[in-house]
Amino acid sequence: MKFKKSWAAIPLSVSLLFPTGAILTSAAEHEHGGKASEAVSNKAVDLRATLDSILSEHAYLAVITMQKGLDGAADFEAAAGQLGENTDELSKAVGSVYGDKAGEQFKEIWSSHIGYFVNYVTATAEKDEEGRKKALKDLDGYRVTQADFLAVATENRLKASDLEEGLKMHVDQLIWAFDNYGAEDYDKAYESLKESMHHMFGTGKGLSWAITDQFPEKFDNLSVDTKAADLRESLNNEFSTHAALAILAMQKGIDGAKDFDAAAAILNSNTEDLTKSVESVYGAEGAKQFNEIWSSHIGYFVDYVQATAKEDKAGQDKAMADLDAYRVTQAAFLDTATEGRLKAADLEEGLKMHVDQLLMAFDSYVDEDYEATYDNIHEAYSHMFGVGTALSGAIVDQFPDQFASAMPADMPKTGMGGMSQETDYTVLWVTLSMIFIAGTSLVLIRRKTAEQQ
Amino acid sequence: MMKLYIQVLIVAMLLAGCTQPEAKPQEKVVKASSPIEVAEVEDMPIVPLRTPEEFSLEDKRVGIEPKVIEIPSLDVKATVEEVGRLDNGQMGVPQDPNQAGWFSPGTKPGGRGSAVIAGHVDSKTGPAVFYELDKMEIGDDVLIHGEDGKTMRFEVVKKIAYPRTDAPVDAIFGFTYGSGLNLITCTGSWDRKAKTHDDRLVVYTELVELAE
Repeated sequence: MKFKKSWAAIPLSVSLLFPTGAILTSAAEHEHGGKASEAVSNKAVDLRATLDSILSEHAYLAVITMQKGLDGAADFEAAAGQLGENTDELSKAVGSVYGDKAGEQFKEIWSSHIGYFVNYVTATAEKDEEGRKKALKDLDGYRVTQADFLAVATENRLKASDLEEGLKMHVDQLIWAFDNYGAEDYDKAYESLKESMHHMFGTGKGLSWAITDQFPEKFDNLSVDTKAADLRESLNNEFSTHAALAILAMQKGIDGAKDFDAAAAILNSNTEDLTKSVESVYGAEGAKQFNEIWSSHIGYFVDYVQATAKEDKAGQDKAMADLDAYRVTQAAFLDTATEGRLKAADLEEGLKMHVDQLLMAFDSYVDEDYEATYDNIHEAYSHMFGVGTALSGAIVDQFPDQFASAMPADMPKTGMGGMSQETDYTVLWVTLSMIFIAGTSLVLIRRKTAEQQ
Repeated sequence: MMKLYIQVLIVAMLLAGCTQPEAKPQEKVVKASSPIEVAEVEDMPIVPLRTPEEFSLEDKRVGIEPKVIEIPSLDVKATVEEVGRLDNGQMGVPQDPNQAGWFSPGTKPGGRGSAVIAGHVDSKTGPAVFYELDKMEIGDDVLIHGEDGKTMRFEVVKKIAYPRTDAPVDAIFGFTYGSGLNLITCTGSWDRKAKTHDDRLVVYTELVELAE
């Protein structure tokens, strides 16, 4: 297909909505002289976003890879390969903080749990109940090892018991998503997929908090826990989930898979999440408009999938033209909503990337070029973290009062002195003095009065 | 429209035979008398090994709004009111010296981060709710009761007195991956001029039992 070339020609760097920078590097693109608590991007918050991105993509790729494994799908190897690249990225990030040796050690432990998931899938496919049980037991053991590693690395800022609890949720969400996929209860499977990605944002916050607390000088003594940072990561979560679920629904659509309806439904539920976020900032009317515009682009992707299935080139072109028009409408909406903080031209460029990445991921899937599919999925997923950062930056700049820290600057005054011995003496002394002075005065007055008489 | 298309696709793919998983058990294919039955056998649902109750799918660290604080070792049981931040930046304090004050703009007890409850050490005339807070020992329990009879148990992990202008406020009120509950009262000698005690006592506790 010749239009692919023009997509490939777009350099990644031209977009305003760039993916988050590398770990331990600063990307303070938003300088309005706001207080530290209002910055959506600083060394600390960027670390949090980077970890959120890698960890949540891990959850997505793990769920997808397990499905592909069970189905014996042709893109299983490519999905597993991308999951491996994600592990490399995460291990590198850990290594950049705790040293290469720790990074290697982390990789070994982290990879083990992916191996146990694979064992679980294989055993399930072979209807080997003992094998499934063993995999679950191995995953229980993994949780302890992984928790110990992170507790030691963070010098107990992350406690092993808390970590084990969090890791149990991660493992359970993936197993639940897989079991329900196998049992054809697809709504449950996809609800769990969405939750498993969301869960990782809590993990990313916890880990980045521990690291910034441990090495404060490397992060300009800044905190990962600010209202602005929470908004950025909440939007990043919703936007990246959109990209992940859109690709999923397109794959299921072209495959005519039984779980297509459930995949489309979870994509819609993500649109509702995004709409609620828009409503919380721009009100019900703005949210309604956003929902209509946003839903339209999902509809055009569906059109594109249908046209592709029918090998209808004209239909594909029409869908792409509609997506071009969508970009203009969506960009204008956001430009107006943010009162020009996000410029329509930049937004159109960013949205073009989003649209192109999804179409490339889909086209390559249809062409059975699965390596390209999962590379594009990774690009599309990461790109959304730039979108969330840009939009949250505009919102925080627009409504700074909403993002000021609510934390106290000073300790409370929790005493009135009634039980302080010193106070008792003071009061006694003052009282006695008053009585003495009063008494003396009285005597003097009496004397004076007496003298006058 | 999409549904219709999907149905067409499913039919097309069944005809093409391209949906058959590679991992299908061979003997079942042999037993099957038609392609439709093969599909049925292969689609046999997977039975989860664990019951839904055994799965941990939702974050339980959401916290509760504290209504009553109970410290068995001090024989304290007090109502908790909500306090915020004063204009001068200080954490607010409860109006009633016999009540405790939860810093409600911050974390809820049991949520991720540091929840903070402050109480007076004394009133103008006598002891107040946290008069004996300095007597707490590591391992002592603090119970937080919320609405609907929900109770959470915290355990003392350390206690530190800081000069009142030199306490690590950000850390006392800040985020943690676990669920902390920090109790604050005054300690040290009374500064007559500043009309406050010289020091602040912080009793750090950590969640050991979630709400039931």
